[in-house]
Amino acid sequence: MKTDKQTDRQTALRIFFLMALVLVFAATSGGSLLAAPKKLATAKAGDCAACHGADKVLPDGHAPTAAMNGEACLGCHQKGSPLALYTKMPLSHFHQLKGITCQACHTDLNAPQELSTEQCLACHGSFETVAARTANVKPQNPHSSPHGNTYTACDLCHHQHAKSENFCAQCHNFKFVVP
Amino acid sequence: MKEKEKAVSRRDFLKVTGGTAAGIAVTGMAWRPGEAEAAAMPKKWNETFDVVVVGSGFAGLAAAYEAKKAGASVVVLEKMRTPGGNSIINGGVVSAAGSPLEARDGIKDSPELLLKDMLAAGLNLNHLELARLVAYESNNTVQWTINELGVKYKDSLSQEGGHSVPRMYSTYNQSGSAIVTQQLEKLKEIGLIPRTQVLLKRLLRDTDGRVKGVEVREKYVFPRENSGRTKFIKAKKAVVLATGGFGNDVPFRTIQDPRLTADLESTNQPGATGEALREAFRIGCTPVQLSWIQLGPWGSPDEKGMGLNPFFAQLCCAMYGLWVDTQTGKRFVNELADRKIRADAIIRVGNKCIAFTDANGFAIGQKMLGDIMAKLMERGVVKRYDSLAAMAEAYDCPIAPLRETIANFNKAVAAGKDEEWGRYLQKNQRALDTAPYYASRLMPKVHHTMGGVNINVEAQALNVEDDKPIPGLYCAGEVTGGVHGAVRLGSCAVLDCLTFGRIAGRNAVREKAWG
Ligand SMILES: Cc1cc2nc3c(=O)[nH]c(=O)nc-3n(C[C@H](O)[C@H](O)[C@H](O)COP(=O)(O)OP(=O)(O)OC[C@H]3O[C@@H](n4cnc5c(N)ncnc54)[C@H](O)[C@@H]3O)c2cc1C
Repeated sequence: MKTDKQTDRQTALRIFFLMALVLVFAATSGGSLLAAPKKLATAKAGDCAACHGADKVLPDGHAPTAAMNGEACLGCHQKGSPLALYTKMPLSHFHQLKGITCQACHTDLNAPQELSTEQCLACHGSFETVAARTANVKPQNPHSSPHGNTYTACDLCHHQHAKSENFCAQCHNFKFVVP
Repeated sequence: MKEKEKAVSRRDFLKVTGGTAAGIAVTGMAWRPGEAEAAAMPKKWNETFDVVVVGSGFAGLAAAYEAKKAGASVVVLEKMRTPGGNSIINGGVVSAAGSPLEARDGIKDSPELLLKDMLAAGLNLNHLELARLVAYESNNTVQWTINELGVKYKDSLSQEGGHSVPRMYSTYNQSGSAIVTQQLEKLKEIGLIPRTQVLLKRLLRDTDGRVKGVEVREKYVFPRENSGRTKFIKAKKAVVLATGGFGNDVPFRTIQDPRLTADLESTNQPGATGEALREAFRIGCTPVQLSWIQLGPWGSPDEKGMGLNPFFAQLCCAMYGLWVDTQTGKRFVNELADRKIRADAIIRVGNKCIAFTDANGFAIGQKMLGDIMAKLMERGVVKRYDSLAAMAEAYDCPIAPLRETIANFNKAVAAGKDEEWGRYLQKNQRALDTAPYYASRLMPKVHHTMGGVNINVEAQALNVEDDKPIPGLYCAGEVTGGVHGAVRLGSCAVLDCLTFGRIAGRNAVREKAWG
């Protein structure tokens, strides 16, 4: 006959394994406990739920965004203010909110291809133009590298569908904040 | 797909090794590494080129350029997200013995003198034929970068430790990128763009002893070992291995020199690791002098990696100022000795040394280095002091011996000879006496791996079993050993890499295709 303690332990073990399974699943499916968002090309930019479903991606009490565009977001999230969205969302979302849809970059949505730096520059201006915009960033202009233009390829730092990174920090103490 | 490929290769492996083992049992034949490696030959190649170049630094790009120009189909594979390796972050100084600039400045030099300097620093461990070739080709190589690649250099020469005379050209932006970007540009013109994020996993050497291609991982994300997808690329003529040094490979470098632990910083790019070198040994290349690993003496604890301090510490201070031990206020080494002597000396005296110069030395630096000096000040790596006393106080250095050190040096300048340490005195050296003073802290950092695989003057990799060339395999650049012996002289790596890279590329095309 099993004692209460034993059954307790068995239940605990069962729960433990179940949880481990869930964790392993979550880890293998994208690293976060949130389900991977759908990449729905037809979704309206402000309609979080269209891709994220029931996942909580906005803070409690946030105004409904479904009908908003980038302009509307700026009503609260002004550039330079503590509420600025800069670095807080994947860049693809900024593009979407400004009306740059999936299709604008990926011509074939069924088999989306990686973008070249040239494609980015087609909208953002030449290497020189981009560099001029950040000419005063200290301690070094991130868009004008002494290592040449291969070191200013956009996606070394700026990712659309993942967190952006400070590529220079591999070798330098530059504390760039990368949108 | 990935899994399937893996499964296939594992089955092949079992089949072939099983067969070979049986062969040994029956015939009693010796086990040769070549036979074991046949296991890795793929059933099907995903792609085919005449020449497969691995590594996109000076050496790889030079090889690719020569091979492509000679009409071969060429691919360049690079594991990192950017091309250029250590070459594109390098300091842009290149020696040329017997150059037009030396003639203009009345500097007496010759390839033989450069060779002598290389051998002295190299403790005569240099493979003489290789070193001689590099020294004698030095001026041709630099002129080739100017005339063929369109590289731009500054108008004046400078001098690194261990060189008898100032003989170094400096690229216009004081970076190897001035050379690499031209190499990339020229390659692009003839239709070749290096493929990034492709890791060399295996060199595929067949039972007949020939290297026939490579196993790679495409879309590899450094440093995640198993990222990417396996692919087999056939090299009809040859593979050129130009994967650089292993200065940033802590496990491998501590095997060779156990003192070089993770505590030491390195000037190298993060991808300067040794897996390709290990692979070269696995298929039968011969190791040369792997434990000779150079520390750069002019690093700074106040910035990461190579940083910019080497320019100040070398040009303003080793050439025109002094290096002193702040514990004694005294010089502790010939500031223009080779890097090993200087790095060893810094560590020996207790790692509390500074490089400093006065207003005149700083002005020369500003003229030559432009905004690099401003950046060094801005970043707090180089500091300015209104008086010698203020500088001494900042580093807790006793002032009386420091004053005496300077007085002695100034006497040497007046006499035209540094009796105390035997340093070469610059023609325009002035007494050190003009405030303000400028100083930076020194910290040696792992910089260059002299050792690597054994090659001959044709850049052929030599087989560990019999010292004969391994058919289908060329090696060039920092992945090889022998040119520099125990210590590489500053500004000689570019020469080594370009010289042997070009030779490797030219010879690779001349190989007979195997299939
Ligand atoms: C900061 C710094 C400054 C320097 N300054 C000077 C100088 O002023 N003058 C001078 O003469 N020398 C200098 N040197 C030394 C010189 O730059 C190097 O020795 C030289 O760049 C090596 O060239 P390489 O082509 O052999 O290798 P690299 O330029 O390092 O290129 C090798 C490439 O191979 C890639 N690779 C490695 N393993 C694999 C793999 N398994 N699969 C695919 N790709 C792989 C690497 O990522 C790298 O991009 C300097 C070095 C450093 C680090």
